[in-house]
Amino acid sequence: MAERVPVVVGVGMTPFAANREDCTVRDLAVEAVLDCVRDAGLETLAAVQHGLTSYESDHFNRQMTLGAILHDTLGLNPTPNVRVEGGGATGALALRTAWAYLQSGLCDSMLVYGCETNGKRISAQTANQLFALSADVDWEMMVGGTYTAFYAAMMRAHMEKYGTQREHFAHVAVRNRRNAANNPIAQKPMDITVADVLNARPIAEPYTLLDCSLLSDGAAAMLLATREWAAQHSPRYAERPVVAFTGTGCGTDTMRLGDRYPHLTNFAGKRAAAQQAYRMAGISDPLAEIDVAELYDSYSGVEIQAVEDLGFVGEGEGGAAVVAGTFDHGGQLPVNPSGGLLGRGAPVGATGIAQAVEVVQQLWGAVNPARQVADARRGLTDTHAGIGSICVVNIFERQD
Amino acid sequence: MSSASVESVIEQKTVQPAWAGTDDPWEAFRQVEIITLELTQQYRHSLGKYSRFFIELANKQFYGTRCSNCERVYTPPRPLCPDCLHITGWTRLPGTGALMTYAVMHFASEVNDDVRRMSMPIILAYVLLDGSSTLFPHLLKADPQAVHTGMRVQVAYADAPVQHPIHLMHFVASEA
Repeated sequence: MAERVPVVVGVGMTPFAANREDCTVRDLAVEAVLDCVRDAGLETLAAVQHGLTSYESDHFNRQMTLGAILHDTLGLNPTPNVRVEGGGATGALALRTAWAYLQSGLCDSMLVYGCETNGKRISAQTANQLFALSADVDWEMMVGGTYTAFYAAMMRAHMEKYGTQREHFAHVAVRNRRNAANNPIAQKPMDITVADVLNARPIAEPYTLLDCSLLSDGAAAMLLATREWAAQHSPRYAERPVVAFTGTGCGTDTMRLGDRYPHLTNFAGKRAAAQQAYRMAGISDPLAEIDVAELYDSYSGVEIQAVEDLGFVGEGEGGAAVVAGTFDHGGQLPVNPSGGLLGRGAPVGATGIAQAVEVVQQLWGAVNPARQVADARRGLTDTHAGIGSICVVNIFERQD
Repeated sequence: MSSASVESVIEQKTVQPAWAGTDDPWEAFRQVEIITLELTQQYRHSLGKYSRFFIELANKQFYGTRCSNCERVYTPPRPLCPDCLHITGWTRLPGTGALMTYAVMHFASEVNDDVRRMSMPIILAYVLLDGSSTLFPHLLKADPQAVHTGMRVQVAYADAPVQHPIHLMHFVASEA
């Protein structure tokens, strides 16, 4: 197995924005893939053996069969293609799928690209209804429920059981938006205070507008391969530290929060995903052994639940650890240096790939020095669908 | 020569993103036209094996399903017990219970006229119905200031026409 552990050959992405009016969804994919191809030092995609198209929503993109369209647009015909979908976890599930394709020997190189137009092409109300289609359509959605409300009810349970405060998750909203200021392709950097978050317009209490992540247009790409393929085809492979994709885990949970009773506070699927990934990567103390992480902060409080479910701290200890600065830049385990979903943005099919792009660039030491985590050797991405109905944890590490 | 009129065109403009800089590789492709695109869908949507729940709501009765193997009771109903893979059966519940968690919503998914008619805020409540093993999600019609976890609630049935059958019920605070 070990000799086929995938390595990262190149990464690319578009800026994330609320409205990429200059692009169709396929234009976005093209920009990210071109960025990735140049990063890998390739002239063309002729040697790439397989493509993987990552997108969630035919409704948002107003287009089905994007795999076929993008292979055509990118000149990848007749290279094989597969499309992966897993709600909010789509991009991370795409990378996990690539891990399996490469390990199996089905191909020696795989171009994974994700794209989505979740921005202002439709109204916020329509967007909410389309996202609600990924909830259990005959039940919570039809009473008027929104994902913000599902997450808010979950967070209220966390607050009541563990004493977590609104100020704790407001800290996440402030920090991740400030981190975004050091990322020139982030959608919405903001310099705000905890009071600004608490006093913002309530959306679904306890969450206010500033606790909520962004709707974005954007794309991201990653070229993964065996070491042999990378050395043979990418002139840049020898120029920078080898970063390998050493762990991947996936876990699932019920669609509806109420079916998890009495366990309402945390993501059991995420816990399962993390345990698998840690076993694969040989990690026993994640807080000490992981240097940088991109976590799925779809809502500010979700990051608090995530640091618990990923085993960085114990269940119920996330709020205190967050305000203590454990996960700030310069803290023990810097989280969401890119700005996360709150500050950088979240075009769904691209999100999990973009998280991995940030982690890999951190490991290469290639990001803006203002957000570079010193001596980062191992990084993690955490991505999920729904309220944790599909959870994926991926681990990348330097092997020099 | 004037150009032909196209009804769907909203706007034509030149887009120059800040990040493109002065050496823009896409310089030749910065003129964009934006049109309106409509996509309307209507379904003949079967409620399938869940139908009896909705049919009984119209009779002001609240039903869940019970697994005869593990005795768990599911609300919302599950035709298949996910723990035992046994086919469940219908069981009537009194419709009383306790609020376990909730969210005060200032923005709803306007998926049907029932939701569109509501004024915000509304409360999405997760209720442990007496006799059930799971929480049932629905709206609790109450003053958000008067709501707290653990409070007793009960099912109230609609006395006016509704668009979607799930709105044949909602929760209210229990009477004394």
